[in-house]
Amino acid sequence: MKKMILGLCMTTVLAIGIGGCATQKDLEAVQAREKAIAAQADQAAQDAENAKMAADEAIAKANEALARAEEAEQRANERERIAAEKEKMAEEKAKAADEMFKKSMKK
Amino acid sequence: MILKRILALPLLSNRFHFTILLLIVLFVPGCADMRGYLAKSLPLPGYPVDAIERNDFVVTEGDDVIGRLATIRLERGDTLPDIARHFSLGINDIRAANPGVDIWVPDALKRILLPLTFILPDTRRNGIVINLATMRIFYFKRNGMLLSVSTYPVGVGSEDRPTPMGEMFVARKKHRPTWYVPASIAADHRKKGDPLPSKVPPGPLNPLGEYALYLSEPSYLIHGTNKPASIGLRATNGCIRLYPEDIERLFKKTPVKTPVLIVNQPYLVGRRDGIVYLEAHTPFVESGTANWKKVYGKLKHIEAQSKSPLDWKKVKAVVLEARGIPVPVSADRDGIVTAAAQPVRIRHPDRLYGQPELPAFKTDAWYVLAASLRDKPDAQRLAAIINHQGPPIPARVLSEGDRHRVLAGPFDNQPAAEEAARRLKIDLELDAVLFET
Repeated sequence: MKKMILGLCMTTVLAIGIGGCATQKDLEAVQAREKAIAAQADQAAQDAENAKMAADEAIAKANEALARAEEAEQRANERERIAAEKEKMAEEKAKAADEMFKKSMKK
Repeated sequence: MILKRILALPLLSNRFHFTILLLIVLFVPGCADMRGYLAKSLPLPGYPVDAIERNDFVVTEGDDVIGRLATIRLERGDTLPDIARHFSLGINDIRAANPGVDIWVPDALKRILLPLTFILPDTRRNGIVINLATMRIFYFKRNGMLLSVSTYPVGVGSEDRPTPMGEMFVARKKHRPTWYVPASIAADHRKKGDPLPSKVPPGPLNPLGEYALYLSEPSYLIHGTNKPASIGLRATNGCIRLYPEDIERLFKKTPVKTPVLIVNQPYLVGRRDGIVYLEAHTPFVESGTANWKKVYGKLKHIEAQSKSPLDWKKVKAVVLEARGIPVPVSADRDGIVTAAAQPVRIRHPDRLYGQPELPAFKTDAWYVLAASLRDKPDAQRLAAIINHQGPPIPARVLSEGDRHRVLAGPFDNQPAAEEAARRLKIDLELDAVLFET
């Protein structure tokens, strides 16, 4: 009976041992997967960070370009305004000169 | 083949063949001569011509349009008043035909339009007819069935002292007239600080020029001028002014008692070769829109009578633009109407008639500094205006950096320079400075 109980216990311990060994392996596999995933996550985070930085840079560049475009537009408007003013002034000068000429042509 | 056979035969042995060969020899250069003649006589677009009729025309029975539209390329130093005088046009004509062009400082090499085509005024066709709105005089003469017309640009009365309208006649003629200064003009000059003598003898200071036709309307004359650049302006005291060269010709052909009719027709309708033309000028402010209503009615009547449609969009454009050029307004069929409006190109003459001459710059002379300006075109414009005074005052621009000095002279002595400075002050309100080199 004792032998039987001992045999049973040993079998149980063996079974537990064997089962325990299997769990350790699994654990290692899981840990390895976790590591890989963590590395992938790190990479993804890094990539995301890089992408964000690139996007920020692009936005900054776009904003800069926009600002420059606005500046250029303002300059163009200013130039146009000055040209129109000049043209108006030239027209006024020509008109004044014509009036002066017309007056000088009287007897 | 025939030619080969003829050439193969002994020529003198066959009179018939010899005659044919002779005809061919004569005919070939004949063709070349005819081509040359056509190129010379027909002002085809693309072939610039040296001259164009500007004053004397034959009026074809049933036609109301005379002359041809032309273009010319400007050269450096040209002003539009110089071009106008050379082609017997007024400043008003050339300015209206070339809107946007600076008349005193135009771009060199620019091609401009010479409106040398005119619609005859809607009046009787004998004697003298003057259209104030177009600033143009017409002298009609009939010789049997042939009606001819001579036309010249004129200067007319100002807004304050307009030229009287209506029927009158040439009462008398005078070569080298004396100008008896009217009280109103004497008062104007006194006010300006430029008192005039009671009479001005013939000479360069006489504003009547060399010839005068005295009208039956008292105090009104058709005369020459000592200010040729005023032709095409409303700048007289009611008289009619012509270029010196034009009044000479009109004076010679006009007998005393010639009837004179003065009208104001800014819108003119006429026909040539079956095409209807419309010519619009900016009407005088005081003459209102009555003229246009009359012409609109005439156009409607022509359209209904001839049963050929008019291009009303074009009519509207012609009236709005008021360029003083007869424009075909018949609806275009087969491009005939468009072809009728094509201008002829004229070669620039070596020298423009009447263009002010600038004496060489010299030392040991007197000069007058008329102005010192920052803008070169302004300085050039002022110099041109001074050059076109009557009598002319020579003026040029001396540029140094961004300063452009308008210098009048040279004058031989101080009094001459002082007189020029006085005229610049009175006529152009310029405070000039004298100096001797």
